Parts: sequence; structure tokens; C-alpha cells
Amino acid sequence: MWVYEKKLQYPVKIKNPNPALAKIIISQYGGPHGEIGASLRYLSQRYSMPYPELRAILTDVGTEELAHLEMVGAIVYQLTRNLTPEEIQKQGFDAYFIDHTTGVYPVAASGAPFSANMFAVTGDTIADLNEDLAAEQKARVTYDNILRFADDPDVREPIKFLREREVVHYQRFGEGLRITTDRLDSKNFYAFNPGFDKVSKTK
Amino acid sequence: MNEQSRMKRRISAVGFAMWELHLYLDSHPYCADGAKKLAEYQEQYKKLLAEYEEKYGPVNEMSRNTSRWAWVSDPWPWEAEAND
Repeated sequence: MWVYEKKLQYPVKIKNPNPALAKIIISQYGGPHGEIGASLRYLSQRYSMPYPELRAILTDVGTEELAHLEMVGAIVYQLTRNLTPEEIQKQGFDAYFIDHTTGVYPVAASGAPFSANMFAVTGDTIADLNEDLAAEQKARVTYDNILRFADDPDVREPIKFLREREVVHYQRFGEGLRITTDRLDSKNFYAFNPGFDKVSKTK
Repeated sequence: MNEQSRMKRRISAVGFAMWELHLYLDSHPYCADGAKKLAEYQEQYKKLLAEYEEKYGPVNEMSRNTSRWAWVSDPWPWEAEAND
């Protein structure tokens, strides 16, 4: 169950529309390293996690990603307010506009729509946690690349906040991986999958 | 920045500190210092939220001390006006 709070995790208040910027930032809404993929990855992986700390981390980080999705949506929304068709065309937003007008749809900057192919749920604890660590770094890189193109401080501040959260989540997943290997055979971490093989079930 | 915006910022800041501690305690469930710090922030948050909602309407869907209409009314969080 989830409860909605009627506010953003970090404020988004953009004075100047900029559809060219919206077109690249939308990648963190529905792109390969975006927030909806992150949320679905963690919330789906948690079922096969063998330890309570891991189930908690995945539930909480997966939940926070939804708050980030909402922030990215708000950025895209505010960057595409009050535009004329001429401005839309001049700034290269026309290809997106044709299908979605100024609605917010989960696509990558390249235009590829969101797909569950963008993440994995292997059911193997070590493989899933390593995917999660990589995912946080890939999202961090995407925010770093967005910051290369964004001059407007109204946009940079919330993007910097989101970037920082990727670093914190990476830290938590690293601890999750350590919690896992601490409970496995240090001579062979891969002797069995604690998310499936019964021998390892720990409360 | 007006009084309402200032209060909202404070609630958000305290709420964020709570969330950060909550996440930290997922991987450090036996950290007593962390748990104590979280309880302190929770107490602060409860007070600030009650004070805010009494004046300006609901932040949370489950709030009982607010009218239905305040929940439905604008601005929704993605509007710039909601982020003063």
C-alpha cells in the first residue's frame, strides 16, 4: 500500500520554459536509466530478496524513485508551458509534440518509449544487487550529462538533488551487498543463490 | 518568501532528514543513535505539520483535520506555484 503526499520531495519552480531541455531531461522519466525503470526494478526485485534489510532497502528506494519520477515529470511539465508552435518547432520539440502535445509520456531522449527490457529481475540476490549498484551509477551519469546542457539554476538545483540521491542509494545498495556476502560462504559467494536455494534461508 | 512557503520549506527539510535516517536504518537497524535522531525529527515533523495544515490545508491525503475541498484544489505539486 502507498499513501500520496501532495508535495514534491524537493521543490521545482522554473520561470523560463525551455522545450529543448525538456526533450533531454525526459530521459530520466522514461529512458534506460530513468526513474520509472528504477522504481519498477527495485519494487519487483524485492520479492525474492532473502534478508529483511534487503527487502526494506528495495521497498524504500523503490518508493523514493516514484517521488523522483514526479519531480522529473514536474520539470518537463514546467519547461513546456505556454509555448507557441513556432517555439516548439525551433527548439526541436516538434517530434515529441506530434504524438503527445505537452503531455508527459515515459520516453528516452532518443524517443524510444519506456520498456521493461530496460531493467532485470534475475531472482539471484548478488546479480540483482549488482544491477542495482550499476543502475544508480548510470542514473548519476545521466544527471551529470543533463547538467552539462542545463544553464538555468531553476533546473540545475532539482537535478543536482536527484543526482545526489543516486549516490546515497548506491551507498545503501553497497551495504545491502555487504550484508548479503557477510551471510554467505566467504570461500565461495556463488555456492548457492540465497534468494532461491533453501539451505540459505535466514530470518 | 511568505510565511506559508517558509513553513513548507521547514516541513520538507525535516521530512527529508527523517527519510534519510529511515533509509540509513534499513541497513543499520541496530544503530541506536540513528533511531534516536529519527524519533527527534518525527516529533518535530508532527508539530510542524499540524500547525501547517491548520492554517493552509492538507499535505497528506489521510489528514483528518482538513476539508475535502482543500485536497482537491490547486495547486498540485507539479505546478510552479506549489513550489514557492
